[in-house]
Amino acid sequence: MDKTAAPVRDPAGISIDGRVLYCFGQWTVRYLQDLEKSQARLRLPGSADITLDMAGVASIDSGGAWLLLRIVERFEKDGAKVTIASLTPHAAELLDLLKQTGFTRDKLPQLKSAPLLARIGRSAHEGTDYALNMLAFIGAIGRVFLRQLIRPGRIRWRQISDSLAEAGYKALGIVGLLSFLLGIVIAYQGGIQLRQYGASLFIADLVGLSMVRELAPLITAIIIAGRTGSAYTAQIGTMKVTEELDAWRSMGIDPLELLVLPKLLALIIAMPLLTVYADIMGVLGGMVMANSQLDLSFSTYLQRIGEAITLNSYMIGIGKTPVFAAIVATIGCYQGFQVSGSAESVGRRTTVSVVQSIFAVIVVDAIFSVAFSYLGM
Amino acid sequence: MRQAATHKQTVIEVRDLTMRFGQKLVHENINLSVEQGEILAIVGASGSGKSTLLREMVMLQQPSSGSVRVLGQEITRARESEILLTRQRTGVLFQNGALFGGMNVLSNVGTPLREHTRLSDRVIDEIACLKLSLTGLSPADGLLFPNQLSGGMRKRAALARAIALDPELLFLDEPTSGLDPLSADGFDQLILDLKASLGPTIVLVTHDMDSLWQVADMVILLGEARLIANGTMNELAGSKEPAVKRFFQGPRGRAAQASA
Repeated sequence: MDKTAAPVRDPAGISIDGRVLYCFGQWTVRYLQDLEKSQARLRLPGSADITLDMAGVASIDSGGAWLLLRIVERFEKDGAKVTIASLTPHAAELLDLLKQTGFTRDKLPQLKSAPLLARIGRSAHEGTDYALNMLAFIGAIGRVFLRQLIRPGRIRWRQISDSLAEAGYKALGIVGLLSFLLGIVIAYQGGIQLRQYGASLFIADLVGLSMVRELAPLITAIIIAGRTGSAYTAQIGTMKVTEELDAWRSMGIDPLELLVLPKLLALIIAMPLLTVYADIMGVLGGMVMANSQLDLSFSTYLQRIGEAITLNSYMIGIGKTPVFAAIVATIGCYQGFQVSGSAESVGRRTTVSVVQSIFAVIVVDAIFSVAFSYLGM
Repeated sequence: MRQAATHKQTVIEVRDLTMRFGQKLVHENINLSVEQGEILAIVGASGSGKSTLLREMVMLQQPSSGSVRVLGQEITRARESEILLTRQRTGVLFQNGALFGGMNVLSNVGTPLREHTRLSDRVIDEIACLKLSLTGLSPADGLLFPNQLSGGMRKRAALARAIALDPELLFLDEPTSGLDPLSADGFDQLILDLKASLGPTIVLVTHDMDSLWQVADMVILLGEARLIANGTMNELAGSKEPAVKRFFQGPRGRAAQASA
């Protein structure tokens, strides 16, 4: 085996001389690719005996041995009788080993892909399943909630306050900043139009109403979906993977009671408060922009805001937010419980959680708008 | 072909290796060497730095000081490209398998081949199936995902991935932990079989006294942040040194010796 002086980086190959095939080079996985491509083109006239001379092979590993077996098998299928010559003891052992495994090319497992109709059926089934499971999940939360109402001593105030700090207090920065910027953007875009009509004062109506009624609740819900809903999914999902959820259950503690309900309640409390804050920051953003672009004084702007924003509009804006909170928390927690097995699943579920939460929030917001306009509010 | 058996090479050489995390000293002045074709077992109590030592040898952890030579390459001061070449010649079996959850077993085993060779997918899958067969799984198991495997199957699949490139050096972190005694015996035998057929040098970390008697040529005992003892299982079991006696002469150690 070591008698050859072949250079170390010599790729594997075969040269034909009559009925003898001289194999040479490194028959190891890293130097096999050329041989793998060229061996399919090896053709010999007739079906007489063939000798594979392995003397020139500098080294061989199990990948090389497998390719050798494949070549032998192909020639034998053509009716040739194949002899392998100058096989080193090591290579012979490898060949024996591979033969012993009993693996042949036709045993390669194939992924069976389901027919189209079956796939459509399966996805419809999964969709229904998802909706039903979600309903069951909401029902289970409701049951746990009622149980706690009956025995208020079991309410987990500690967890609620922790969640409140995490989802509410720590979100103040990002919610405030983004609302402020949103106020600036609306005032800037609206101001250009309004100034043309000499109606600069109405910038307060524009910013005030759009922020308070629609944009502040929406931007808050979207930020919370991305920031808190995703965290809920990742946290619960990871706990599922590491069997922490099972550990709680085995101690007789319902994860719904310990993990889900406090998060849900905390978010239902936090979201309206964050929205009030977002309202204020948005109006302030508009005020700064109105002052610098339209030369509207702070006091005029604020006075006009007071007249423009009715209590009705304000309450409609705030009133939607507990619903948004419930959507984000429920989807976030539900997706967490849907995690199965691997770390990858946690990532996938977290993405699904955020996308679904934002989607649901916007759809519900649209439904609210239609409903309110019907009611003439 | 690997080097002739008459001329044994040193595959791993560790000199004055010291590791500390902040103030905490994990181990100090470790010296050891592994000859080609040898099976070296690293043992020690939990927290004695076995896994850290293994991580330093597989180039996942930079030691605080000292030198580690793996397959002729000094790895503590090597360039990324040199380390990559050494990595391709070594295989690692992680304690819990560390199979990639997003792909099936066949793709898991084929990953090193796909990354480091330019063979066709078909041949890669075939070689992966061969490796699965060598570790006692069936080709059909290749379509399963890691979370569908039992603990024993997961170890076998992970071992198949570790030997995908026919490594010259194989690191096994607690290969038999979490297996039932029968599977653990089977796994010990599997290690010996692979050693006989593919011929890699093996370094393993273990707690399993039976494994030590079954597979280890040489054993090193870590403790008190240093290398306490170094020798064959028979030498260590007969040692008079108190720390060594405590480790090997407990009821489990004696039971394993009796059955070996």
